[in-house]
Amino acid sequence: MATETEPQTDRETESLTLVQAVQDGLRTEMERDEDVLVMGEDVGKNGGVFRATEGLYDQFGEERVIDTPLAESGIVGTAIGMAAYGLRPVAEMQFMGFIYPAFDQIVSHAARLRTRSRGRFTCPLVVRAPYGGGIRAPEHHSESTEAMFVHQPGLKVVVPSTPADTKGLLTSAIRDPDPVLFLEPKLIYRAFREDVPVDSYEVPLGEAAVRREGSDVSVFTWGAMTRPTLEAADNLADEVDVEVVDLRTLSPLDDDTILDSFKKTGRAAVVHEAPKTGGLAGEITATIQEEALLYQEAPIERITGFDTPFPLYALEDYYLPEAARIEDGIRRAAGF
Amino acid sequence: MTQNVSVDDETARQFLEGMLRIDIFEEETKERFGEGEIPGFVHLSGGHEGSHIGMGAAMGDDDWLAVGGARLIGQYIAKGVPLPDIMAELYGRVGGSNKGHGGQMHVSDIGRKLYGHAATIGSGQNPAVGLALAEEIQETDNVAVTTIGDGGTSRGSFHTALVFAAYWDLPVVFVIENNEWAISTPAESLSPDHLSDYGIPHKMATESIDGSDVEAVYHTVSEAIERARNGGGPTVIESRVARLVPHFEGDKETYRDTDEYERLKEEKDPIENYRERLLERDIVTETGIEDMIANIETEVKEAVEFARESPEPEPEAAYDHVYRTPLYGQGENQ
Repeated sequence: MATETEPQTDRETESLTLVQAVQDGLRTEMERDEDVLVMGEDVGKNGGVFRATEGLYDQFGEERVIDTPLAESGIVGTAIGMAAYGLRPVAEMQFMGFIYPAFDQIVSHAARLRTRSRGRFTCPLVVRAPYGGGIRAPEHHSESTEAMFVHQPGLKVVVPSTPADTKGLLTSAIRDPDPVLFLEPKLIYRAFREDVPVDSYEVPLGEAAVRREGSDVSVFTWGAMTRPTLEAADNLADEVDVEVVDLRTLSPLDDDTILDSFKKTGRAAVVHEAPKTGGLAGEITATIQEEALLYQEAPIERITGFDTPFPLYALEDYYLPEAARIEDGIRRAAGF
Repeated sequence: MTQNVSVDDETARQFLEGMLRIDIFEEETKERFGEGEIPGFVHLSGGHEGSHIGMGAAMGDDDWLAVGGARLIGQYIAKGVPLPDIMAELYGRVGGSNKGHGGQMHVSDIGRKLYGHAATIGSGQNPAVGLALAEEIQETDNVAVTTIGDGGTSRGSFHTALVFAAYWDLPVVFVIENNEWAISTPAESLSPDHLSDYGIPHKMATESIDGSDVEAVYHTVSEAIERARNGGGPTVIESRVARLVPHFEGDKETYRDTDEYERLKEEKDPIENYRERLLERDIVTETGIEDMIANIETEVKEAVEFARESPEPEPEAAYDHVYRTPLYGQGENQ
């Protein structure tokens, strides 16, 4: 079920961007638990190419904010050994598209240590990776390959869409006893600010958030697509009453919240940046049809990227779902 | 005359006993596999026994062994995993080291600091570097030893592990068991004169030794561990052995030269050579060896009985450890 995640009014807050909330989440966990370490390319002295680890090196030193050579298999593989030992490493991938060399480590070691050893070895690892498009760079610098990781039992996949969720979900991911892939929507790293509690708090993994209540069409999305989806919902306010569900955790999916919303509306759309074929929209659609077929009033719309590599520059505007395309999809679902 | 014996008599006898334990355990494994009692794939260690036992004896209980390569059973035994734990795991039974969810390739034992293998050979060296880095952060003097075969050295992850180990000058000992064959691909087709040369550009200590000589392995790995313990950084060791068995049980080995194979069996059997060496010097007697073998056969028989009596895992158990807490919906309606 969805839970209340708005910061309580009596807590001290500061106004942060999403990337600042990443830094704040790392810092508060490192202050709380000395086993928490940060590692990756350029994360130390340089503070990270997106500044997500800025200031941590000065505060915690080179033994806990560890610069590494350029090799994702080495960064993640080394972090897996540290996690198996009992430390709590947070490894940064500079871009999600650079994660492929580490895929073997994530699949063959991190995701399976616990089950293969029946809980005697564990891997409390977080791999952070900025994902997604909208920054005018092609392919590896912009793609969204979450489906490849959602397909791996033993791994959790988390995507925040707001600064307050970012800190709370990252805190939960670090404290989680299992490996978590934490995907950061870099398009909105600095897009807006939000009041974020200064102290440490968790937003639970595996729980979606209803961002906008509505009765006509349910739209399921996450990460950077949440904002254009909400914009589309607002634009349609006079014709369609749209419910927007921010899934927040992609593995495990919050089937309860998805199904509750769908049983109310009977119509749905899924919005994601990744290519349509094999994307999570298909999985969500299948889950709805398995569990709520008799509630269904219309085909479920998949409003997604296209089945091409992520394009360069101008074509990006065609590739990424934006409010107008989302509105069209919602209208189709509503008008069927 | 055979080579001198460079360790004390008791240690020498333990070396022989350890190698015999691997051999007898694996002969039984081969039979049980042939009878259909052991499922899946079985890769045996024949020819590697000296390398395994020499390495294991050089390690302290608090040193990690991150196992790699295909010849794993001998390494499990060398790290001290009890025979019933291993045998029951080969059988896929709940009494096994991994409660029947790992099998021959995935035995691990956190209590004995054995980090298990993943079948993407060459991927285990990176976690080994992480274990060594963690030990360093915790300011212990423990070392991580990690093994790989000649085939695995072609994987990028192995070379990345060398880069990372050198970058932090970590206490890691890379042991490359070069048995000349990556299934059917000969190691001689790889460029380096010795596979330990892969450590040279990283300015690591390197050694290439006769891995069929248990004492040579023991001394070389001991020196490397000692160096690593004292801040001397990583070492790459090539342990040259002969593969005296098929890659896996069932491999017809059509790629091997029969005469050369026979010569290797004659000249490079670590157990037979060491047995002669100890007999010549009266460190053991024929009767003593017979007693050793009889005792090990009893151990192995008990391990098989334990495995046979141990139940298979319940189907529901498959979900128990995918995550610490079974996730939403897992195991329901399956």
